[in-house]
Amino acid sequence: MTPAYLVTVLLGGIAALDATPIGQTMLSQPLVVATVLGAVWGDWTTALEVGIVLQVLAVSTLPVGARTPEDYATGGVVGVGLALGLASRQSFVMAREASALLGVLGGIVTAIGGVPLLRWQRRLNEGLSRWCEEEIRSGREGALAASHRAAVVLAFGVGVAYCAVCLGLGIGWLGAFSERESLRLARAWSLAQPLWLGLGLAQVLHAFIQRRLVRGAMFGAALIGAWLVLMVGTP
Amino acid sequence: MSRLTGADLRRVALRTPLLQATWNYERQQGLGWAWCLKPALDRLYADPELRRARLAEHTAYFNTQPTLASLVLGAVVGLEEQRADGAGPDAGGVSRVKGVLGSALAAVGDRLFWSTLKPFAACLGVLFALSWSWFGAIVFWLSYNAVHLGLRWRGVAWGYREGPAVLSGALRRRLEKLVRRLSLMGSGLVGVLIAALLVPGGEPRSLAFQTTLVAGLMFGLLAALRSRPSPTQWALGLGALCLVATWTR
Repeated sequence: MTPAYLVTVLLGGIAALDATPIGQTMLSQPLVVATVLGAVWGDWTTALEVGIVLQVLAVSTLPVGARTPEDYATGGVVGVGLALGLASRQSFVMAREASALLGVLGGIVTAIGGVPLLRWQRRLNEGLSRWCEEEIRSGREGALAASHRAAVVLAFGVGVAYCAVCLGLGIGWLGAFSERESLRLARAWSLAQPLWLGLGLAQVLHAFIQRRLVRGAMFGAALIGAWLVLMVGTP
Repeated sequence: MSRLTGADLRRVALRTPLLQATWNYERQQGLGWAWCLKPALDRLYADPELRRARLAEHTAYFNTQPTLASLVLGAVVGLEEQRADGAGPDAGGVSRVKGVLGSALAAVGDRLFWSTLKPFAACLGVLFALSWSWFGAIVFWLSYNAVHLGLRWRGVAWGYREGPAVLSGALRRRLEKLVRRLSLMGSGLVGVLIAALLVPGGEPRSLAFQTTLVAGLMFGLLAALRSRPSPTQWALGLGALCLVATWTR
């Protein structure tokens, strides 16, 4: 395993911690993870192409109430890591685009596949929680710190393991396919990238506007104004 | 007379990042809540038996938006201080305050952090990432955490000072105003972002890209009217469709 793969897998554990157990500071979001991995692998173009698409999709996933949202923390790491791993094997632009497509698809599948894993961890925490209360009542206050340590270690371990398995399977299964079918995959990327960006941005726009006329007008004015400035230039 | 010091409140605030470490379906943030409150209980209850009883009480069910939980923590620390002096509410009273404040702050907090601030900061980050690469992630992280970490650290002292009435006055108005302003600015930001995607650096993208982006937007607006399938499931379906379309063409 190369150092870049090792850092990617460890980042999967850190992202899994930031997503819910520690902090929720958005370090686990695909854009941030992509920037870090872009620096590690020395390929910001591929990393950010995948990171931007996954970020736009991740932002419409809300962890409200007791809902278990899609796991974009490990999804982002696996998606970007997979794209970088595949792109590092070939140097053509077309191969980079093919890797980006497989990276985003891998990230989405990992994010969806992470939901049962998150549920499993949360069920384990139920037992930990009951055990901790009993221990406190029987005089062992240290159980509170011990249960927190256990939950953090579990989340990190599961994040690292899940990331390693998904990345390993992705590189193993898709490596040869990506090299063989890079032309078709690059064409599919040129179709899928704007569709994904449009889909994600529409969800965000819907959440912002919420049928308020002023906000809709603000969106329209900003779109036309920015388009004119970009096309014609500032006066 | 106050028995808790500023250092005690800071110790409680320092533990708030771990509020959700043991999140589970049964008690949700319950155990994390007890963990955060422990430094204050250590100070207030010298008798180990009484302290353990109070700590065990606080492992019960609790859930709210994690950033704004600091405000509830501060308010409950104040109530526990009164209780230790023999003046405050009983266990049922503290539990009711936790429940009411938790629900009210979850309603405001979910809208502020998950539906408004996070998408706003992410769109800002993506806009910068389109032109200045790595700078976008820093803009995203800073713009979100300026509010998130600020409220998380200062919230405990704020809640302690205001007590259970922490959300009844000026704070609720300020948070609601922030949601409205961010939503308005966010609507404009999405407009700028779409323009930047259509015409990056003044060079228009191909007609095929522009048409597909608009098609994605239209489809996304229709998909947003229904909660199922989720946007991620739609995205997977669209990706598969693109692969099929490319292979069969």
